[in-house]
Amino acid sequence: MKGHIVRNPKLAWREVDGEMVIISPEDSQVHELNETASLIWKHAESESVEELAKRISAEYDVSLEAARADIGELVAALEQKQLVFVATEVKG
Amino acid sequence: MNLGTIAELDCPVKQLDSCAPLQISIGNVSLDLFIREEALLAPALRRYREFAQNSENGFPILLNQRKMRVGSGEFSYLLDDAKLLLGPRGAEFHGVRHEYALDSLLRILLTMVLLPRRGFLLHGATIVRDGRAYIFFGRSGAGKSTVASLSPEGSVLTDEISLVRHSNGCWQAHGTPFWGEFRAAGINRLFPIAGLYLLKQAKDDRAEPLSLKEALRALLPCVLFFTAEKRAHETLLHTLMGLIEKIPCYRLHFRRNAEFWKVIAA
Repeated sequence: MKGHIVRNPKLAWREVDGEMVIISPEDSQVHELNETASLIWKHAESESVEELAKRISAEYDVSLEAARADIGELVAALEQKQLVFVATEVKG
Repeated sequence: MNLGTIAELDCPVKQLDSCAPLQISIGNVSLDLFIREEALLAPALRRYREFAQNSENGFPILLNQRKMRVGSGEFSYLLDDAKLLLGPRGAEFHGVRHEYALDSLLRILLTMVLLPRRGFLLHGATIVRDGRAYIFFGRSGAGKSTVASLSPEGSVLTDEISLVRHSNGCWQAHGTPFWGEFRAAGINRLFPIAGLYLLKQAKDDRAEPLSLKEALRALLPCVLFFTAEKRAHETLLHTLMGLIEKIPCYRLHFRRNAEFWKVIAA
């Protein structure tokens, strides 16, 4: 997976004890993220997917490949819930 | 929405309207209800009698009047045939046929007016014990009315809708005129909050402390909230976090009898 993860701008959220609680104002749905997903959410808009993979690899002492795979799975789940989307880089 | 403080509100409505307002105060929010119809005024006087309070700068609410007088609405809400329009200088209620519709629109209005004042309404019963307020919250059927019915007479601030607000440096529970099964007039007093208890009917009585995240998750579905605006939800999250960082929150397992008081932190 390449590019940047972008948080859905319609959502309200708050970090509680290192984990994210997210509200979708349109339907009042509340979402909770686990520790890894919260880390991705927190740094999503300042780091590329590759940078996030390096962060997770270092933080949890897992290989870069495993971190990339984890991010892929988590982001797919977050995308399905419309919490994030992935902005791919367009080469000019 | 971003309402100014009550004191800053410019209230041109008063000069336009010939009827004297019914002045009430709920959660230290002064409201001027302009009601022309006797069929609505008489029950409103009865229902809100404990909350009557004279004020110079009450937030004006016009009932069932034809012309838009509060300026363009920043928030509107449709409830069956009744409609609430809220602007920075006042509110209009349209299509109000009975006191229950008036009461419902007042609750909705208060959620919006309290929001920038670090306050909110919660589905919960508030019981006062030794000068401190204990809030027992939960969705319909959780046992709010049961808790109220098991409490001494005069100790129940509300059996249905609690009003929580940060003022004078602490979190306080205010009495409200919004009652469930008790159908009482309410008590217009406020008390510092001792604890928040999410009701869970069980076979034993115990109070299980909740983490901040659990407390936030428990409170959110029980807050009365009627706007889909992102900023309003951010403000609510900020307010709730401020509350649970100061006030302990528990899941109260209880057997629907008065024994639960024994497990509540003294």
